[in-house]
Amino acid sequence: MLNGEQGHVIALALKTLVHYGKAFGAQRLVPIKSAHLAGSFGSISYSAYYIVLEQFIKAGLRVKVPTTINPRPGHDLNLLNRIAFGKQNALDFKMQQLGVTPNYSCVCYEKDNVPNVGDCLAWSESSAVQFANSVLGARTNRNSLLIDLCSAITGFTPEFGYLLDENRRGKIVVKLNINKMDPSALGFIIGRKVVSKVPVIEHYNFSRSDLKNMGGAMAAAGGIALFHVEGLTPEASDMKAAFAGVEPESIITITQDDLNAIQTRQTDCSDLVVFGCPQLNLEEACLLASKFSVKRVKKPAWFCMIPADKINFEKTDLYKKIRTADIKVYTHCPLSALTVQLRRKRVLTPSGKLFYYLESAEYADLDNCIRACEA
Amino acid sequence: MVTLQGRSLVGGRGIGPALVTQMPINFSAAFGRAANAIPGHRSVIQDRHHELFKKNIRGKVLIFPACIGSTFTGMVLMQIMYKKEAPVAMIVQEADSLLVSGSILADVWFKCGIPVIEYKSVDIFDKIRNGDIIEAIGDTGEIKIYRETTQ
Repeated sequence: MLNGEQGHVIALALKTLVHYGKAFGAQRLVPIKSAHLAGSFGSISYSAYYIVLEQFIKAGLRVKVPTTINPRPGHDLNLLNRIAFGKQNALDFKMQQLGVTPNYSCVCYEKDNVPNVGDCLAWSESSAVQFANSVLGARTNRNSLLIDLCSAITGFTPEFGYLLDENRRGKIVVKLNINKMDPSALGFIIGRKVVSKVPVIEHYNFSRSDLKNMGGAMAAAGGIALFHVEGLTPEASDMKAAFAGVEPESIITITQDDLNAIQTRQTDCSDLVVFGCPQLNLEEACLLASKFSVKRVKKPAWFCMIPADKINFEKTDLYKKIRTADIKVYTHCPLSALTVQLRRKRVLTPSGKLFYYLESAEYADLDNCIRACEA
Repeated sequence: MVTLQGRSLVGGRGIGPALVTQMPINFSAAFGRAANAIPGHRSVIQDRHHELFKKNIRGKVLIFPACIGSTFTGMVLMQIMYKKEAPVAMIVQEADSLLVSGSILADVWFKCGIPVIEYKSVDIFDKIRNGDIIEAIGDTGEIKIYRETTQ
């Protein structure tokens, strides 16, 4: 394939993976079970990306493994977004031609692309990589956008980093001194402090949603691709297993003060409250909806949901309740949708990830965000 | 002139003034804004969480500890290289899959990658100061530091 007998373009895709692997001392390429792509925004700024996509399509290439893709960017939200994401329809069509599953969600691991323990993957999307490695026990590096597609097209990924046992063991012990748990804020602080090593968090009974939100924040404020929770995640039955018998490099403690420090005190100053980054699933949307008690929210609020889950959410009474309360339910990525603005909206969010990326975002925990909508 | 020996990640040769930060960089947050779509401003860091906020890294040899954040990174870096607004080289303490991808993608698909060198020791931040002229030789991993001595 590398010599071009299957065509020049697939040879370039493979060459990309070979160079990528060589930089990290990979000995070989290994077959992957699935891919997940981050390149779902038809932004007019990313010309180089479309040039490469076009080459794939002209060469008649299609993905060789099941491949899902990130949310759409909110291209139809307003005029400005229609201009900024003017290539959305063309991009959607290109992805269809390449054979990509149109799930349009960063939470691909619930239905459309569910890996098993030990599966080798080539995923991008930092929050999905984090969940696949940490919670599902599958194996993927933090692959870049377009590297993901080179893997999907060829069916291979270079074997290095988080594909190998020795890089999956814990490096840092994270002790908790917290009265009121806020997984998203905790993830943000761990990301800042641990940067890109593998943290092992002392036991706490986090829910699956907690792990998703905590992981997303860790991968934005830091470069973490894998974390363990003592006695909870698949590779950390206890501390000894999580560290594979090796001594931790260091021990850090995260306190309530650390979590409080990123909380804004002025929750009433915001123009919009955004829930769902990563996107909410049906269960999360129902739980969140049930926490709202007012007939009508005082401040605009968005739920951003997995598209397939939104369809089911629309059938519930809770959906009717929150729509009556004037909460909007969307399926696009809130970050990209709010990146282009004429007048900068002050956004309040309980998502550590959105807080990191969105210039005008403030952070508050879930309860305070709900209160801000209702007050 | 002082020469440091790092590990080669992406080949090529780049020479330019050093821009040093001890904060990890989130390139997606830095260059993924609407403001970065304007020609000439593609490499202005727009991440308010970073000390290099509003600094243009174009033409610089960027020296930093680690690359963090979103998997958009490789594409964002490829784009600034493709548009010829990138740094001339990057020297990083801890190599990261996303950072390296950016330059490899630019190199394989557009022949415009920049050298990337990993230099693990923390003494990099003592030996290189902002504004020193740095020659980064990606193929060998050599880092040459030229400093005008002031009396």
